[in-house]
Amino acid sequence: MRLLKALGAWLDFRLRLGEGIREAATHPIPKSSASWWYVFGSAALTVFGIQVVTGILLAIVYVPSAAQAWSSLQVLNHDLTLGWFLRAMHGWASNFMVALVLIHMIQVFLFGAYKFPRELTWIVGVFLLLMTLGMAFTGQVLRFDQDAYWGLGIGASITGRVPVIGGALVHLLLGGPIIGGDTLSRFFALHVFIIPGLLIGFVGLHLLMVLKLGINEWPMPGRIVRRETYLKEYEQLTHEGVPFVPDAIWKDLVFGAAIVAAIGVCAAVFGPFGPKGQPDPTIIQASPRPDFFFLWLFSLLSLLPPQMETPVLLLMPPVAILILLLVPVLSGEGEKHWKKRPVAVLTVLVVAVALGSFTHLASTTPWSPEMDAWSGAPVPISELKGRSALERRGALVFQAKQCRNCHRLGREGGMRGPALDEVALRLTSDQLIRQVLQGGGNMPAYGKNLSPAETTALVAYLETLKPAGRAPAHDASQP
Amino acid sequence: MSGGDLWSRIAAVAGALALVSCDLPGRPGPEPEVLRPEQVLDFATLYSQNCAGCHGEEGRGGAAVSLADPVYLAYADDAAVRRVTANGVAHTLMPAFARSAGGMLTDKQIDVLVRGIRAWAGGSAPGGLKPPAYTAAGPGDAARGAAAYQTFCARCHGPDGKGGSGGHSIVDGSFLALISDQGLRTAVVTGVPGLDAPDWRNDVPGRPMTEEEVTDVVAWLASQRTQFPGRPYPSLQPKNQGGTQ
Repeated sequence: MRLLKALGAWLDFRLRLGEGIREAATHPIPKSSASWWYVFGSAALTVFGIQVVTGILLAIVYVPSAAQAWSSLQVLNHDLTLGWFLRAMHGWASNFMVALVLIHMIQVFLFGAYKFPRELTWIVGVFLLLMTLGMAFTGQVLRFDQDAYWGLGIGASITGRVPVIGGALVHLLLGGPIIGGDTLSRFFALHVFIIPGLLIGFVGLHLLMVLKLGINEWPMPGRIVRRETYLKEYEQLTHEGVPFVPDAIWKDLVFGAAIVAAIGVCAAVFGPFGPKGQPDPTIIQASPRPDFFFLWLFSLLSLLPPQMETPVLLLMPPVAILILLLVPVLSGEGEKHWKKRPVAVLTVLVVAVALGSFTHLASTTPWSPEMDAWSGAPVPISELKGRSALERRGALVFQAKQCRNCHRLGREGGMRGPALDEVALRLTSDQLIRQVLQGGGNMPAYGKNLSPAETTALVAYLETLKPAGRAPAHDASQP
Repeated sequence: MSGGDLWSRIAAVAGALALVSCDLPGRPGPEPEVLRPEQVLDFATLYSQNCAGCHGEEGRGGAAVSLADPVYLAYADDAAVRRVTANGVAHTLMPAFARSAGGMLTDKQIDVLVRGIRAWAGGSAPGGLKPPAYTAAGPGDAARGAAAYQTFCARCHGPDGKGGSGGHSIVDGSFLALISDQGLRTAVVTGVPGLDAPDWRNDVPGRPMTEEEVTDVVAWLASQRTQFPGRPYPSLQPKNQGGTQ
């Protein structure tokens, strides 16, 4: 023990770090800041630590080449002891990190912690959020399965819509005109060197400012932030305050440990993410989805009218980022407490509900077209009962021509077009023929893909789709 | 604590950890999560992805041929099932599934499907009476077929095939355009289980159709095909004039 102490003293005499560390650890903070509400930032940092450790271990086995990436993940999942657990930890910790960073941000926003003199801390934090999302996206790409492949395809298509330089940007992103080995090398460098390097630098800056400027005090309604008086008031609070170690840090440690345990449990119970099918564009039996933090974007893009896509895609991200960056500049002073900031609370609620609803829609709605509905879902037996030979042929046309990719029947099928269970109540035979042949609304014309016999059979079948005992649609111009 | 004791404890803990890690629910199964489509060799998966839409779940209740119908399985042999699955039936809605014919399935997968469909038979032919051959011996005679039709079919489908007391029209131009002669033969021999249309033995109880009668009836049905089926669309054809005058 004495030897250790002597070694420590020897090192410290030469490094001169001890005093700084002691000072940082015991610096006084306002009593109210030693709170359970102030643990999310440190928990995010803890999870980042997990990501660094598990990431390095994964990089030892992972092969960043288009030909071998997918199989090296299979090796991790199946051949290495606890390799699957390592992947699961990295994947779940990534989800937790995105969630914690968002919660931390909301808490800081609602507590007014971004106000004078901590504007720059917030701005650096915005970049940390962007980098966290960047890590999440590049990490999903490194999985290099079908989701990754098509996710990249969508990312490249969005980039390609940038006016004038779109093509060059896509080239830069993919390392060539198509998704291939160069793309993976690029994303590997981003995920392993570039973004983590920046992330570590920005985290350091963020922490330095937290130390130098002090942790935000617990906001009180009516206590107004003014540039002239704030520093003096804060000094007063810290003067009556408590040392960070041990009075506040134990809460950070307990919460951080709970988060690590939660990640471990999730990893053990739910296992690693994918890899799903191989990233082969010739495999068309794929229904790719982004990871959960980009699901909202997935459903937003599905719901937008086509002419709105480009403006929204290209303007929304820069505007959103600009607004986030401007928050402390525009309201650097004034009330901190959420009770006195209804607009701030409403903004958080609206954004949270919007993102939550989009995410929910993306994960539960059977997005159309549902490409295998025609082959996987039989026509309900009740919808074939008592049908004539011709009508049964029509049911086959209905299946074989893949009407069901967009239309539901018996609760199965796509939702791009209307459900057809009661179509005979809405459309007469003439209208059905016209709609099938010429399309209209959102529907393509099928006239060239159906023989007259097929159309006749199909319409004969569609005319039977109505509840028993109800009169079919009637052409009002006819007697 | 002695050194040996410590090491044995560490070994015990490591062993327990390894044991636990085997049974964790998150551990992925031995197969990749998603197989390449051509590696799928499970009959239930292949059938539900490729066949169930038209032939119904478990080969019953679909609009197309009931593959699990014991009469059908006694009537169609392996070669026939394989040929139709692999190459499809031209001019009908049965597509080709073999890669060699432009489909998506490998020969191995076709094998799995044929074997799986055949397994529905359960190994026993029904009723003792041998069904007519799957393939017709000759072209058949439409005139004799018309007579056989009156004997065996007219009771339900009406004297001219346009529908009657128990059955629907089977001479509709569009219907005949979407079914092959072989498909008509299958329908005559096996009936249509979903519609209670009887098989070749029971059209007239106690008097099964002979091989020739089946062939002739199919020839007569085929002779009812029209040159331009479905044209003009039925709703554009002049309706019963009585209503408009």
